Order: sequence, then structure tokens, then C-alpha cells
Amino acid sequence: MDGSYNNYSSSFGGGGGFMPGEANSPAGGKTGDRDNKTLRPVTAKQVLDASQPFPEAPFQIDGADVANVLLMGQIRNISSQSTNVTYKIDDGTGEVEVKKWVDSATADSMDTDDGKAPADGKTEVELNGHARVFGSIKSFGNKRYIGAHSVRPLTDINELHTHLLEATAVHLFFTRGPPGGGGGAAAGNAGGVDAVMGGADDYGAGQNKALASMSLVAKKIYNLLKTEPQDDTGLHMQVIASKLNMPASEVGRAGEELLGAGVIFSTMDEQTWAILEY
Amino acid sequence: MSLQTPRILPSHLHAFHPSSTSSNTVRILGTVTALHGNTGTLTCGTNGDVTLILKSDARLQVGKLVEIVGKVADLEGGQGYGIRVLGSTEWGDPADCDYKIYENVVNATHKFKSIFYD
Repeated sequence: MDGSYNNYSSSFGGGGGFMPGEANSPAGGKTGDRDNKTLRPVTAKQVLDASQPFPEAPFQIDGADVANVLLMGQIRNISSQSTNVTYKIDDGTGEVEVKKWVDSATADSMDTDDGKAPADGKTEVELNGHARVFGSIKSFGNKRYIGAHSVRPLTDINELHTHLLEATAVHLFFTRGPPGGGGGAAAGNAGGVDAVMGGADDYGAGQNKALASMSLVAKKIYNLLKTEPQDDTGLHMQVIASKLNMPASEVGRAGEELLGAGVIFSTMDEQTWAILEY
Repeated sequence: MSLQTPRILPSHLHAFHPSSTSSNTVRILGTVTALHGNTGTLTCGTNGDVTLILKSDARLQVGKLVEIVGKVADLEGGQGYGIRVLGSTEWGDPADCDYKIYENVVNATHKFKSIFYD
């Protein structure tokens, strides 16, 4: 009985420990997708500037993974092939290629079903007309494109303008944190620490102010150091990198940012950091 | 990517003049209020007018809201700046557009340039 229980727990632990390393496998990728179902408003320039930490990895904008993107712009070119339609979308910030795979089943039903006629007209986009596109960023060779789930016409100019403002708002969210006092997440997670700190609240607020101007990665590291159980020596850079699932070089850079601002300090060696709290 | 057309208001024309920048292709939204042969007047909400230098095949209509893509140029006789129209998109009735939103878009795009323009 005892033995089987131990076996169970050890195999379970092993499975859990293996997960981060599995991120490269298709299964790992799917897990990430399931967690991130957001639809992010973007500009064409953001799509073209999106980075990919390693081949096949999800694209990142402002350091955050993007699952689906929403893009609005003018259609500069339409080229219909047997399997897909390729559009060139221009929103004034750049030009992005958008591929929509032709679904023969729906195409047929639209052509034949008279009841669907108005809807059919509605989904028709025109050359030099405007469109709203949603899909995911893909790359083929060195070419960046959007694999579209939907390409629909856009007729209200206000929608186009608010989209650009939304894209700005989301960009600011990821680069500067949520509106109205950054470090909201840190404050929420720090309940246990606060009790220990007692009257150190004001000092903490000062740190949050310093944090507000820092990169997203730096904020993530700070939050991890604040919430992760650890001894007096803090956490090693490699541990942080694996916990946050980020390349060590990026963690190193953000760490220097935090060290420079004096919110964390190095303990045993230069790569082991703890929060400067007392 | 070089195909960028910053959105502007009449007060920004000078910043995109060929003498001050190499990228003088801009995008501007307004209502066509007058047409005289090869020039036209675009009224940009409460932000003033811009003189448009039209191509012979331009098909603008007075009273319509249009988005102009064009190059900032000098007007004949030293009358300040105008826009040489390269392309235009008609957006219909000006009443359907809240020009305030466009003004905010112009401000946001220039303030947070990194996600819009190089």
C-alpha cells in the first residue's frame, strides 16, 4: 500500500517537473494556447515587429505572447487562389499579408442557399475597401502573414479609429502595467509579506513607483521574488528563468534593471537576487 | 516597412514638408468643401482647411468625408503648404464620423509612435 502510494506520488512529481521542459512539444504548445485565448487589437507595424523567441514559438508583442490578433485596414490587393485568398492590408503603419483559407463547404452553401443571400453580401470585401481581420500571426520562411479566421468588411470609420486607440491602450497596458497605480498584482499577492513587513507599506509603494517605469519582464521577476517561497539568499537567475519560462539572457537584462534601481540586491553571487525590503 | 502614411491634422503639415523630412507621405481625414479645377479644399473638423492639389482623374465630391493619402507640397505663389493627392477613400456622410476620435487617434499615433511609425 505504502509503496504504491510512493510510486504514485513520485511519478506524479516527475510528470509535473517535466512539464516546463516539454514546452517545445506540440502538447506544451497547446497548453499555452488554451491559457491564452485573447484577441489583441494591433497595428500592421506591430505585426511586422512581433518577435519570436525561437522558431515555432508563439509570437510576442511588447513581451507578451499573442494568440489572436485583430487588425483593421484598407485592402490594397486581393489575390484568389484555389485553396486560399490573400489580401494585402494597409492601415497606414505598414502592409501585412493576410491569408484566408477557402472553406469549400461554406463557400458552396453560401452560393446555393438563397436564405443566406444577405449574409453573403455582408461578408464580401472589396478591393480598396476596408476590412477587419482576425487571425493569428504566422510565418513562412522569412515572410510574416496573418492566418485569418475571418475577413469582414468595415464600413464605419469610427470603428477603425477606435481600433487604433484600443491598440494603443493594450500596448500601454503591456509596457506600463494596468492603469491607475501599477503593481496591482504585486500588492494583491503580497498579503503574507505585508503582515511581516508591518509598517513598511509606504516604502513598498515607493518601490512600486520605481517598478512602474520598468519593463514587463522586470515586473514579472519582482512579483516572482515577492511571492515565491525562498530562503534569505533569494532566487538564482536560472531558477527565475525556468519559473517564468523565459530565456536567461532576458532575465539577466531585466535583473540589471531591477538591481540598478535598487529594488533587488544580489546575495550569494551576482546571479542570486532577493528583494530589498528592510 | 516603408509604406507608412502617418495620420495628421492641418497643424502638422509643416513637420512633413519635404524640407524637414524624407517621408512626406501623409494621411488626412476631412470633408471636401470646395473644388476648383485642379485644386480642392478639405475641411478638417474644427482644425482648419487644407488645400488639395488634385490629379486630373480625381473623383472627389463636395460634401463627402474623404481620407486622403498624399504628399505635402508647396502651394503655387507661396501660399503655404498643401497636399498633392495620391489616393483617396470616400467614407460617405461626414455626420457619421466623430471627428474628435480622429483627433485623438492623431495624438495617440504621434505620442506612442513605436507601434505606429518608424
